[in-house]
Amino acid sequence: MGGYMLRRALVAIPLLIVVSFLTFILNTLSPMDPAEVVLHTQGVPRITDELLTETRAALGMDRPLLTRYWDWLLSCLRLDFGDSYVTGKPVWSLLGPAFVNTLQLTLVSVIAVILLSVALGILCALKEGKLLDKSIRSVSFILTSMPSYLLAALLVLYFSVKLDLLPTNGMDTVGSYILPVAVITISYAGIYFRIIRSSMLSNLNEDYVLFGRACGLPERKITKRILRNSLQMAVSVFCMAIPIILGSTVVVENIFAWPGLGTLSVKAILARDFPIVQAYVLVLAAAFVIVNSFSDMLNAWVNPKLREDR
Amino acid sequence: MLKKKASFMVLSIFIVMSLWLVGCNSNNENSENKEPGNEPRNELVYATAKDINDMNPHLYAGSMPAQGMVFESLVENTADGIKPLLAESWDISEDGKTYTFRLRKNVTFHDGEPFNAEAVKMNIDAILSNASKHAWIKLTTKLAETKVIDEYTVELVLSENYYPALLELSMTRPFIFLSPKDFINGQTKDGVNGYHGTGPYKLADHKTDQYATFVANESYWNGAPHLKKITAKVLPAGETTFLALQKGEVDFVFTDDRGADSIDVEAMNLLVDSGDFRIVRSEPMNTKMIVANSGRTNSPAADAAVRKAIWHSIDRETISDAIFNGTEAPADKLFSSNVNYANVDLPQRKHDVEQANQLLEDAGWIGHDIREKDGQKLIMGLYYDVNSSSQKAQAEMIQSSAKKIGIQLDLLGEESTSIANRRSTGEYDLLFNQTWGLAYDPQSTIASFTSEASYYHTTSGIPEAEELYKKIEEVMGSTDEETRKSLYKDILTIVHDEAVFIPLTTGSVTVLAPKDLEGIAFKQTQFELPFDRMHFE
Repeated sequence: MGGYMLRRALVAIPLLIVVSFLTFILNTLSPMDPAEVVLHTQGVPRITDELLTETRAALGMDRPLLTRYWDWLLSCLRLDFGDSYVTGKPVWSLLGPAFVNTLQLTLVSVIAVILLSVALGILCALKEGKLLDKSIRSVSFILTSMPSYLLAALLVLYFSVKLDLLPTNGMDTVGSYILPVAVITISYAGIYFRIIRSSMLSNLNEDYVLFGRACGLPERKITKRILRNSLQMAVSVFCMAIPIILGSTVVVENIFAWPGLGTLSVKAILARDFPIVQAYVLVLAAAFVIVNSFSDMLNAWVNPKLREDR
Repeated sequence: MLKKKASFMVLSIFIVMSLWLVGCNSNNENSENKEPGNEPRNELVYATAKDINDMNPHLYAGSMPAQGMVFESLVENTADGIKPLLAESWDISEDGKTYTFRLRKNVTFHDGEPFNAEAVKMNIDAILSNASKHAWIKLTTKLAETKVIDEYTVELVLSENYYPALLELSMTRPFIFLSPKDFINGQTKDGVNGYHGTGPYKLADHKTDQYATFVANESYWNGAPHLKKITAKVLPAGETTFLALQKGEVDFVFTDDRGADSIDVEAMNLLVDSGDFRIVRSEPMNTKMIVANSGRTNSPAADAAVRKAIWHSIDRETISDAIFNGTEAPADKLFSSNVNYANVDLPQRKHDVEQANQLLEDAGWIGHDIREKDGQKLIMGLYYDVNSSSQKAQAEMIQSSAKKIGIQLDLLGEESTSIANRRSTGEYDLLFNQTWGLAYDPQSTIASFTSEASYYHTTSGIPEAEELYKKIEEVMGSTDEETRKSLYKDILTIVHDEAVFIPLTTGSVTVLAPKDLEGIAFKQTQFELPFDRMHFE
């Protein structure tokens, strides 16, 4: 078991190196002169050649690409992602708090997504083809296909402005979590509950269910078995939901003025604040790789067959 | 059958839900969402799309309205000319090279440090030691020395006479004063320890990308301001700003540094109709325009006839009415007449499709659908700021009117940074821009005609370019008011004749404020608001 875990972890390292190299290269491919970008983003009203040369030297842009990459990679390992072009502050001091804010939102949302999709998935699978199943699927279809900014605006309009129950934005109180979490949950639960439902349904047709019924096992116990088998498959799906939601809160964060990764990254991309963009991509990629490895390990732990295969 | 019934049900539920929500909306417009109580309010929360950022007064990343609350300059630019601020009075020597300022006494920085001649010298020296960042403000290149005469007298010695000196000293930045205690090794260019100015408000709290709070400076030399607390709330999405205004979480919005409003005219009108808000608009502050790249020889934009034809093809009245709801007036020249030295008689180019066609015909651009000349099609790119809702709409309108005269405009939306970058590299045919605004117009805008990073490519392709640049250099150093007037007239005439700056509308600062907020005024700049003069009824 330990060997498998180690091997799995080792595979992640070259993957992260490739990602970091691509991120670095892609940013240098941008046709704009980074020194000029820095000065524009700092709002300097008039840029002179002298100032450009000065800034280029200060950024170390006069050194060869690979040297710069190597230095950047080494400092990244120490969580030093360089300084923001715009504010001049260390990237980590900006990315760190934003990451924590988004992680909070993501974790609460993922829990809500799991609870809701498992509940709806079971309900729909048990009532397959019935009115309830169809209604849930149709409503979720409509809600999921609704753009999240529209859904967010409608929810804010009703619960904040009209009923005056919740704040329209910010992250000051527990109440401020409700609406953003609701928007994310509605968008994702509508997708994930289908996975639970279909995996429940395929299990329902398995021989062990027929056998259990033939033996006269109570329906409650059979359902429990089916659920356990279906959830095993859902584990990796839900694990991947964490980085997916982590990386896709942009719209929700913008609407609810949530000071998280989404807001920060969009701002950085628009301002061509490359050190932040690089760090953001790297952190997200790392999140994907780590969570993916984790879910593989989790599955391997649950299902010894997987370990033998490799 | 069952399936049909189910989907019907779902559909009806959805429709009922939507109607219900819409109903909620219209109910709300009549509802009162102000907290009760007779106590006059003394707090204001304004929405801003961007964080106040690094408030370092000697750099350019910070929010200008926020810096304007915290920091002050020696003199103030008002509608009636330059007035005292931190300097009580001043003398200018005969040769125009020495400025002697007598400072206001009993002024302290927010951290208790005294404001005196030493502090002034320290600040100005720090600015000059980072001169390359301040190339736009010519005074930094002309200031030779800052002398402390006594505790409250300071002398600025210029290397040569420079007429806009007082004006540039009055600008939002960089000649504003930070407490000497906040300096790091006597400098400000690599960061500062704090943001203590002498202004009516102190920065009390700042959570990056969330909010910043400013509290009244009770010991302000000009009397403590009425509004005791001002919060700048970061709301990146306009929809949120609108909803937050409706709910009362935010009660003030104004045109930002880049001339964009966070909510559109329609939303503002809705809020005004609700009875809780009012709109206050400033005098024209700047001119919105299309800049043509005369220096790009392979582009039709290098042809004056094409530029003039576009000028004639644009229907500014309709842009003003349909896109700005009349909030911006049509502009027919680069600077509106209320700008210093800009009250010059220039031939008008009215909206006239016939004449536009004629100009193109005469210049040899012929053809039906898209005109051609020597095998080159009359196709140009027009760059606009994707974050500005009005620019896109204008671009579309201009595109369709250009089509009528046989010009194809390709609309290309980009970020403001990338547009600024195009402007400096010259990789554009046409792009949206605006003048620097009151206090900076005309001198700063005109000075930037020669700057590679600004309008060099715009102006370098015209036949009179050499003459233009010579006149610009002359006007900045001239001592005689009449010479200046005549030089400015020549400069404005040249760029008008060449039609390199195609004016669209005159922009102003729009404020949406609570109905009972009084004292809303404007400064002689679009970048600051005098919050200290505002108070609730």
